[in-house]
Amino acid sequence: MKEWLLPLAVGAATGVLSGFGVGGGTLLLVYMTAFAGVDQRLAQGINLLYFLPAGLMALPAHIKNSCIEKKALAPAIGAGLLCAALAAWAATAAEVELLRKCFGGFLVLVGITELFGKRR
Amino acid sequence: MNEKGKYLLAGALAGLTNGFFGGGGGSVLVPLLTRYCKLDQRRAFATSVAVILPLCVLSAAIYFYRGGVDLADALPYLLGGAAGGWAGGKWFKGMNMVWLRRVFGLLLIYGGARCFL
Repeated sequence: MKEWLLPLAVGAATGVLSGFGVGGGTLLLVYMTAFAGVDQRLAQGINLLYFLPAGLMALPAHIKNSCIEKKALAPAIGAGLLCAALAAWAATAAEVELLRKCFGGFLVLVGITELFGKRR
Repeated sequence: MNEKGKYLLAGALAGLTNGFFGGGGGSVLVPLLTRYCKLDQRRAFATSVAVILPLCVLSAAIYFYRGGVDLADALPYLLGGAAGGWAGGKWFKGMNMVWLRRVFGLLLIYGGARCFL
């Protein structure tokens, strides 16, 4: 039971952020790899699946509030799909230790930007 | 660069991040949409959800196909995520994000440091 409850609670908490559009998945990855001891690549796969319901549940509210910039969708999704496919392929072929080091660098970079970056 | 070119570039970088790290696309996309594409904060967040979602579908399929996902391990996170995502969409309008982002930044640096230990 306990090994179910904590992931459920953490998923719900980060899900709120994911619903906002930023940070939820990143934070869930940190939880899984740094606190729950999940293997880096498995955590990444779980995280991708996790965003499907989280994002899908938030989307109707964003559409209703008409907060989505429609002009951005086609170019950003088009280019994004191509790059995501290449990167996902690379990630599933890469060594887990390398993946982990790259991820660590990425986290520190984003963390510093969040703390000290200019706000708009 | 024209507007479309900027969106292309922002989407491409978000895709690279999202595919390689299995997440974090929003952490790249939102700053690009606000600073580079000049969207206001709220539009950038909401747009990010709509852009990242299809990228995750594709990346998840590739991870799954290449054997990097375990559905049983993922299930509790999925259920929690569905509830949280729904709440996030609902609370989105009245949210003050400054403190949230400070805590977020600290947690990321901690998690990042752990990756090198």
